Amino acid sequence: MGTENPGRPSFPASPFAAAPPTITPFSNSGHVGGSEASNLRPTRPSFPPNTLPPITAGPAGSGEPPAFRPAPPTRFNDPSLPAPPSSYGPPASGTFNRFPTPPFGSMPPGPPARAPLVGQPPFQPPPSQVSPPPPFRPQGQIPAVPMGSPPPGVNTPQIDSPFPASRPNFQPSFPPTASGYPATGASSQPTLPGYVKQSNAPFQAPQGPPVQSPFQATPVGYAPSAPTPTPHYLSQQGGLAQAPPVASPYGLHSRDQIQHPGTMPPMGSMQGLIEDFSSLSIGSVPGSIDPGVDSKALPRPLDGDVEPNSLPEGYSVNCNARYLRLTTNAIPNSQSLVSRWHLPLGAVVCPLAEAPEGEEVSVLNFVSTGIIRCRRCRTYVNPFITFTDSGRKWRCNICALLNDVPGDYFAHLDATGRRVDLDQRPELTKGSVEFVAPTEYMVRPPMPPLYFFLIDVSISAVRSGMIEVVAKTIKSCLDDLPGYPRTQIGFITYDSTVHFYNMKSSLTQPQMMVVTDLEDIFIPLPDDLLVNLSESRTVVDAFLDSLPTMFQDNLNMESAFGPALKAAFMVMSQLGGKLLIFQNTMPSLGVGRLKLRGDDPRAYGTDKEHSLRVPEDPFYKQMAADFTKYQIGVNVYAFSDKYSDLASIGTLAKYTGGQVYYYPSFQAANHSEKLSHELTRDLTRETAWEAVMRIRCGKGIRFTSYHGNFMLRSTDLVALPAVDCDKAYAMQLSLEETLLTNQTVYFQVALLYTASCGERRIRVHTAAAPVVSDLGEMYRQADNGAIVSLLSRLAIEKTMSSKLEDARSNVHLRIVKALREYRNLYAVQHRLGGRLIYPESLKFLPLYGLALCKSTPLRGGYADVPLDERCAAGFTMMALPVKSLLKLLYPSLIQLDDYLLKPSANADEFRKVMKRLPLTADSLDSRGLYVYDDGLQLVLWFGRMLSPDIAMNLLGPDAAAELSRVTLVERETEMSRKLMLLLKKLRESDPSYYQLCHLVRQGEQPREGFMVLTKLVEDQTGGTNGYVDWLVQLHRQVQQNA
Amino acid sequence: MCLADLEFDYINPYDSSSRINKAIMPEYITEAALCLFYLVTGHWCMSLICAPYLYYNVRLYTRQKHLIDVTEIFNQLHAEKKQRLCKLFYLIVLLFLAIFWMILTALEDHDMD
Repeated sequence: MGTENPGRPSFPASPFAAAPPTITPFSNSGHVGGSEASNLRPTRPSFPPNTLPPITAGPAGSGEPPAFRPAPPTRFNDPSLPAPPSSYGPPASGTFNRFPTPPFGSMPPGPPARAPLVGQPPFQPPPSQVSPPPPFRPQGQIPAVPMGSPPPGVNTPQIDSPFPASRPNFQPSFPPTASGYPATGASSQPTLPGYVKQSNAPFQAPQGPPVQSPFQATPVGYAPSAPTPTPHYLSQQGGLAQAPPVASPYGLHSRDQIQHPGTMPPMGSMQGLIEDFSSLSIGSVPGSIDPGVDSKALPRPLDGDVEPNSLPEGYSVNCNARYLRLTTNAIPNSQSLVSRWHLPLGAVVCPLAEAPEGEEVSVLNFVSTGIIRCRRCRTYVNPFITFTDSGRKWRCNICALLNDVPGDYFAHLDATGRRVDLDQRPELTKGSVEFVAPTEYMVRPPMPPLYFFLIDVSISAVRSGMIEVVAKTIKSCLDDLPGYPRTQIGFITYDSTVHFYNMKSSLTQPQMMVVTDLEDIFIPLPDDLLVNLSESRTVVDAFLDSLPTMFQDNLNMESAFGPALKAAFMVMSQLGGKLLIFQNTMPSLGVGRLKLRGDDPRAYGTDKEHSLRVPEDPFYKQMAADFTKYQIGVNVYAFSDKYSDLASIGTLAKYTGGQVYYYPSFQAANHSEKLSHELTRDLTRETAWEAVMRIRCGKGIRFTSYHGNFMLRSTDLVALPAVDCDKAYAMQLSLEETLLTNQTVYFQVALLYTASCGERRIRVHTAAAPVVSDLGEMYRQADNGAIVSLLSRLAIEKTMSSKLEDARSNVHLRIVKALREYRNLYAVQHRLGGRLIYPESLKFLPLYGLALCKSTPLRGGYADVPLDERCAAGFTMMALPVKSLLKLLYPSLIQLDDYLLKPSANADEFRKVMKRLPLTADSLDSRGLYVYDDGLQLVLWFGRMLSPDIAMNLLGPDAAAELSRVTLVERETEMSRKLMLLLKKLRESDPSYYQLCHLVRQGEQPREGFMVLTKLVEDQTGGTNGYVDWLVQLHRQVQQNA
Repeated sequence: MCLADLEFDYINPYDSSSRINKAIMPEYITEAALCLFYLVTGHWCMSLICAPYLYYNVRLYTRQKHLIDVTEIFNQLHAEKKQRLCKLFYLIVLLFLAIFWMILTALEDHDMD
């Protein structure tokens, strides 16, 4: 670091003049492989071995080369000319980008097509401002980059040798290039340079100076640049390090890219390719990065979450990653390894995740044989068990016990030891199956789906219009409630008294009963408060129709929430079910009344701080425990515009496997769409009732802690009164034995539940993971998404017992420790003095860590987020599946104006538009229109200089008005239709929440501030780190006592 | 107190925590009474030794953490068990000291006679 810093400042002054020094590196490298060089140059063949990979890679994942190309411009502008990037940047990137396109297009045809030549001319211009020679010369070192990256996929050892060779090879060839490049086109060489140059030349150039003498140091070291003496290392490294930049630079210049669609298509496939590389790479592949220099080339998850797709061989029958994700797909074999891993070791389970069409979990009925399970550990039959004794016995994969095969299940084994009926046995071939459970699995007859509504009708609820929206939505959902005709339904409303409704089917109008005795609440009627929906449909309809008008003139300001809750509990305790609470006023009467303890600014930063975020009154925890006991799941809808102590009320949802929906300052006019969509989703999605979940794992390891919204019924049994596809649970494991002897460990998630149709079912997901003794392997197999998910849950739990600051520093510390450990693995042997090293699999971890620290539950202090919002976000994040969580942490930012201005819109183009930009203010162009989507809300950002045309078209006459009061509606213009279509698609991509669209104009404070600017996680806002600073900081700490 | 390990497997958290919680207040009160008793009867040493224990209890009580929380019981299992074992150990030491003291005074009395 030390060396580069001095070097960097000098750049701005004379970025290009500085380049010549780069020559030294060259001559240096020349010495290194000098002799070989001469041999090698003639021997073209030796070249191909490593040239080829890149080339083939090019066409295959054609994105690669271009990806490199854009990168340089960005780095170019940025590091070397920090100040002028805006002015300088656009032209540069423009030319560069355009340039890549042609070579790229021609690349695919293959090595012989010396397309790059074509590309050359366009390229020249930029150099001309720059002084051509320098950019070229660097190539000598640079070849490492492009070449390196493909090879990791191929095989490291091979790369090593060709490498030194190739390098010298370039040098000689280049000098001529400098003068008459196009001419050299004869051989394959040009291709390489061409492709190399684009990426490296520019970025190498600035770097040259520092490089000069301390060669190894190349402190500035992008991995790719690494012209270090350890060539083999480079090669690997190049591959690794390169990948991230590849991904990111793309997004950066989307503006240009959109204008040159030619560059676009490769993008998708390229990403895929890179993923392949990382997951296939065999060698030890540390990436390295120079945090200070190239903010634009830092890794960014612009592709969203990428599920670990390529499972190692032999694990192909594992259940899909959407159900179960391990934080690392390589289980450490000893305690000491676990302690060196530093990141959470565990799994994230989403047992009911929605499967795409055609991949649904198959339901099996084992009525005749009973469900086959291991006698000792109770493991369910799964693809990993082995049959022995000619099919009469099977060995449990988890505890290794030999079990008898029941007579009805017997089948002969063929010569290879496979059962002959394997094809007809999904449970033996698929990682996820569902068994229909016989009566032994029931403690009572399967319950009917039951929905109970607890609705606040006090004055603020009436005024906000909430009641009307809720009544309407419920009514429209009645036909779609799952489980017809068994579905049960019931209502209680409350203000200062509790109102019950008799909905007996023989009545025509519901009968209302009011109970005023709050100290000792009782149920006025034994039955008929909870009725069968299909029988009492007319009464329920009548009730919902009259509900809004019934309390129209209610002036009651009190809320007897506690007693109403108890009443609901009494009504429901017979059956269990789902309780939906619509809460608007702070509970003020009876048990469970809450003080306006408020959001006390004085508490922040003291030891008392966390007490604001935990329930004040033990009543709520107790109630939650009772609810779970009786199979009642609670969903809380909170609407208050004032402080309403969600920390207390949300506990109800937390311990009953529910969800908290929070609509701050609900107004029917603005939020009704969101509420009704989310309520509809809540009511109609497939729900699993009275469920319990257990996750079993092989000998020697044990799940020790569970994180999410549920209650533990015993040490390893998770009680979930109502689960659905939008809930995920995380757990951590620990080793019980000091050394694991088995080769593989198995995990089996079993969820026993009652389906809405009244069938008792067991959903079983099985997965296997290898046991390893090498820390590097653990890092290589790490799953970024699962780790981030676990980290964020741990951090949120931490905020419940200590300060926000502590929770944040905890995240920070874990990342530092993990990177340091990783560094210790590789830094020494590869002499990577001044670089930040991170595993390819975790390239996004630092960024997500930063985003996590800036997420709503953890951000800032008192003034940054209202307490209720913080708590609600905490509850939400504790339940979110990995994919949605990552999107929430690092939302997508998409530029729309170009798309809207273009005349035609087809599906293909649509995909191109969905280009995510890095979340920094730099991505926002004041001439553009952007949409920000974090999965919970959409924000449309209107640039200040956006052509009035667009605004006019989208907003009509409202365009000039205050945007906070404008709602987006479809208008009679093409553009508006396109926009609405696009927003609709965005929403469809994540149906679990409805993303309300907010409009913000640039410079419109303070709305712009809290809606957009604070959420640009890579920026430095209000005393928080920007991405670059964060990396620098991490890097520094990693190096300390490394 | 021994319930901590009992609920390891076989009894459900609701019962175990309510049973534990029932025992907690009496325990605190006895403790406090004992400590006071020592103080009043002039056994300064013994009351001093009791004091930290009492202080710990009081602190837990004022922070509202003395009762076991059903919802978190499994997360706290380890800590709770440790805490209770420590307490038990402490009480045993206290008991021995008390007996020792008693015997000593008895012997002294005997000698005096």
